Amino acid sequence: MSDIDIELISVRKTYGNALVVGDISLSIPKGEFVSLLGPSGCGKTTTLNMIAGFQQPTGGEIRIRGRNQAGVPPEKRNIGLVFQNYALFPHMTVAENVAFGLRMKGAPRAEIDQTVNTALKSVHLEGFEAHYPKELSGGQQQRTALARAIAPRPSVLLLDEPLSNLDLKLREAMRVELKEIQQQLAMTFVYVTHDQEEAMAMSDRVVVMSGGVIAQEDKPENIYNAPRTSFVADFIGKSNILPVSAVRATGDQREITINHSNISLAVGSDQAGPPAARFCCIRPEDVRIIGGEAFAEGANVLDGTISKIVNLGAHLDLWVTVDRDITIKALVRSSRSDQLKTGNHVSISIAPAAIRLLHE
Amino acid sequence: MTIVATDSPAAPALRRFALRGYVPLFPPFAVLLLFFAVPIGMMIGISFQDPKTAQFSLGSYQRFLTDGLIIAGLFRTILMSGLVAICVTVMAYPVAYFLARSTSRWRAIVFALAIAPELAGVVLRTYGWLIILEDRGFVNDALIWLGLVSSPLPLAKNLFGVVVGLTHVVLPFGILALLTSIQGIDPNIEKAAQILGASRLSVIRHILLPLSIPGTVSSLLISFTMAASAYATPALLGGARFKVLATMISEQIMFYINWPMAAVMAIVLLVLMLAITFAGGRVETRLHKKLNV
Amino acid sequence: MNRLLSGLFWISLCLILAFITLPLLVVVAASLSPSSMVTFSPADWTMKWYAALWASKWLDPFILSVKIAVIVSLVSGVLGALGAYAVAYEKCPGSEAIMAFLLSPLAVPQIVKGVAIVLFLSSAGLYTLLGTPGLIAGHIVLTLPFAARMIATSIYNFDKNLDRAAQILGASKWQRVRHILLPLIKPGLFSGMTFAFIISFNNIPLSVFLVRPGQTTLPITVINYMEYSLDPVLAAVNVASLIFILTTIFLFEKLGGFSAQIHGGSK
Repeated sequence: MSDIDIELISVRKTYGNALVVGDISLSIPKGEFVSLLGPSGCGKTTTLNMIAGFQQPTGGEIRIRGRNQAGVPPEKRNIGLVFQNYALFPHMTVAENVAFGLRMKGAPRAEIDQTVNTALKSVHLEGFEAHYPKELSGGQQQRTALARAIAPRPSVLLLDEPLSNLDLKLREAMRVELKEIQQQLAMTFVYVTHDQEEAMAMSDRVVVMSGGVIAQEDKPENIYNAPRTSFVADFIGKSNILPVSAVRATGDQREITINHSNISLAVGSDQAGPPAARFCCIRPEDVRIIGGEAFAEGANVLDGTISKIVNLGAHLDLWVTVDRDITIKALVRSSRSDQLKTGNHVSISIAPAAIRLLHE
Repeated sequence: MTIVATDSPAAPALRRFALRGYVPLFPPFAVLLLFFAVPIGMMIGISFQDPKTAQFSLGSYQRFLTDGLIIAGLFRTILMSGLVAICVTVMAYPVAYFLARSTSRWRAIVFALAIAPELAGVVLRTYGWLIILEDRGFVNDALIWLGLVSSPLPLAKNLFGVVVGLTHVVLPFGILALLTSIQGIDPNIEKAAQILGASRLSVIRHILLPLSIPGTVSSLLISFTMAASAYATPALLGGARFKVLATMISEQIMFYINWPMAAVMAIVLLVLMLAITFAGGRVETRLHKKLNV
Repeated sequence: MNRLLSGLFWISLCLILAFITLPLLVVVAASLSPSSMVTFSPADWTMKWYAALWASKWLDPFILSVKIAVIVSLVSGVLGALGAYAVAYEKCPGSEAIMAFLLSPLAVPQIVKGVAIVLFLSSAGLYTLLGTPGLIAGHIVLTLPFAARMIATSIYNFDKNLDRAAQILGASKWQRVRHILLPLIKPGLFSGMTFAFIISFNNIPLSVFLVRPGQTTLPITVINYMEYSLDPVLAAVNVASLIFILTTIFLFEKLGGFSAQIHGGSK
């Protein structure tokens, strides 16, 4: 148990009749980078606030390093928190901001100075000690907030959408840096975000939340390649989610029929998909347009008409109508844009292994 | 921290803490109770006493309603305050409009000019108006020198002088009330009307004035209440014979030593103020609802 | 038509501004004029009326007024901060009703407050409190609502995340109030105290009932004098106290007005 930093046991939060977080259980081992990922209102920020101690759970238990936190105020939890708007103290310099936590604990002067230096060095902010927050750029404010949070060496660092106020370029650079800092410090990070790319890029484990409960909890690659529900499949990356009316097994091969259509698709045998699957998920990049691209032996082939094309630069988003109500999205390289025009009749192929069966 | 789960073990601690939150209120509450609430209560009590025997009596209220001089003073108060309210609002409007719409560097100067007199206090300004308006003052000297009049005009020690002085005292508050209201009107609405072919005058008549009615009402309201409760300006610029409620109250305390009568007058003034503020507040809310602002 | 209208607008604006400034200019000119005939020609101006202020007749009331204003400003600042803290920071239940009570003196005309206090002191046998103690108490009732409102506004505008940030960094409540809340609401606190100072220093309607011989504030001394004479020494008194007020505001601003770093910071 000693290597578990945070443990949530059936944690629940309600406001009157409204359920915000419903019976979440989660253990986070020491040194792990965990993301709580979900759309706004999914309960991820409330969960973070309960771990920090700003909100009290209505039911269940939160343990930090094995100790029940009920009744422990935030200032006694030894946790770091990076705020979305940074919440830097505007009347203090960068160095004073970073020193604040240690100063409040009454640490000796020399230790404070040394820790401030190390913290600023680790976020590459040497030389900005005497600046006030309003004299800093967004990225520098962000780094200051990070340095302030890690300076008192908390065992756990909570991050509440810390990159959402930065522009795209900086955001991508900071992802790499945050991950490096986390590994260097070997500190447990709990990262709240609605940005799936961020979660994917940095996390050891992603916890997808929806409607106050955990929809799926796994390694990033598994979340993407093996979504458990249509919500996860839809929320993470792009996907075609088609309703399934029947699943038949013939030998070790399975075949599904798409609802309200005559389309049947062979499904890979490797997945022990639930027999009562109600949806299937196909990633657009797994859909091939025949003619030009080679396709694997034994793939499903469907005929259709291109109904819409959106140019994304390097790639094209293609909508292919294969039956009256069924349209499948495909992602193809832009170099083929000459051959593909709206209204063209095309054949598409989908490898059986690329089709995921989902039961909800 | 406002929602505390009843089943949480932390609940009793948090509730005890919530009670401690009231502790800082003790000193300000004590001061307000001792030097405000209790005195107001005692004043109401004294108003029901006989001035001589201190027995229960409605005599002072009776006298207030029947004494012609007092009733005249009450009406003089209302007339004076009404005139001041109108003068202030009419004069405040152009200044407020300029401050709300101008982006020039004059804006800061006009703002300072409009608000700065407030720092000077009432005495300085009243003294200024006295030496401008009195019989041997500035204006009369000029008029006589120009040969426009042969004897000094009675500009001070009467209603005219008091209204001028009070308008000057209250004007900054009228400007601020109208400024807030006009700043709330989207300048694009005026531009939209102009694009649709409205002249400057029709923009004022059909757009600006209707939309700034709430500000106008609050300017009238604040001017009326400030004027009605003003003491120094009517006392100094009005002269001995110009009596309003505020000056009559101090006369009862300091010359007649008739506490019950002073209390009754103070209560009438207080009720008048509260009634106007309440009624005006209702009108304002209704206007705000109607204009959706 | 449009040009006529805007011409009228500018003329009325200028006339109104002239109306606002006229009495101030006249008083300044009067304070420098050699006799009660006001002159605007600088060649004739004299400082003799200002020299006449250096007499206990004017100095004593001035010192009393300053003493009262300083005490009133400090006490209103402390009491207002306590009330605003409970209402706006702790947000204790019923905070709206509490704020309404703290602001209630504003609904009562000053002269009525004055009568109430003087009747209270007289009928409770506290005559001895008339003069300085009564003036201080009365002025505090008058200025406390303004101070409480200004400080409460700056607490409401204070970014609550800063408080949470300090809390998660381990700061206790007292440490948060001292290191985060107080420095950040200092401008509100100081403007409340400045306001209290000015209101107290200039006050007439309350003071008129609460002064006693030998303990008379400057404005009351001036209006008593004005009943008999309008001589230019009054102009000098008024201009001098205006200069004093402006200096005080400047000093308060220096002390409490934050250097620029606070504006445009977080939030």
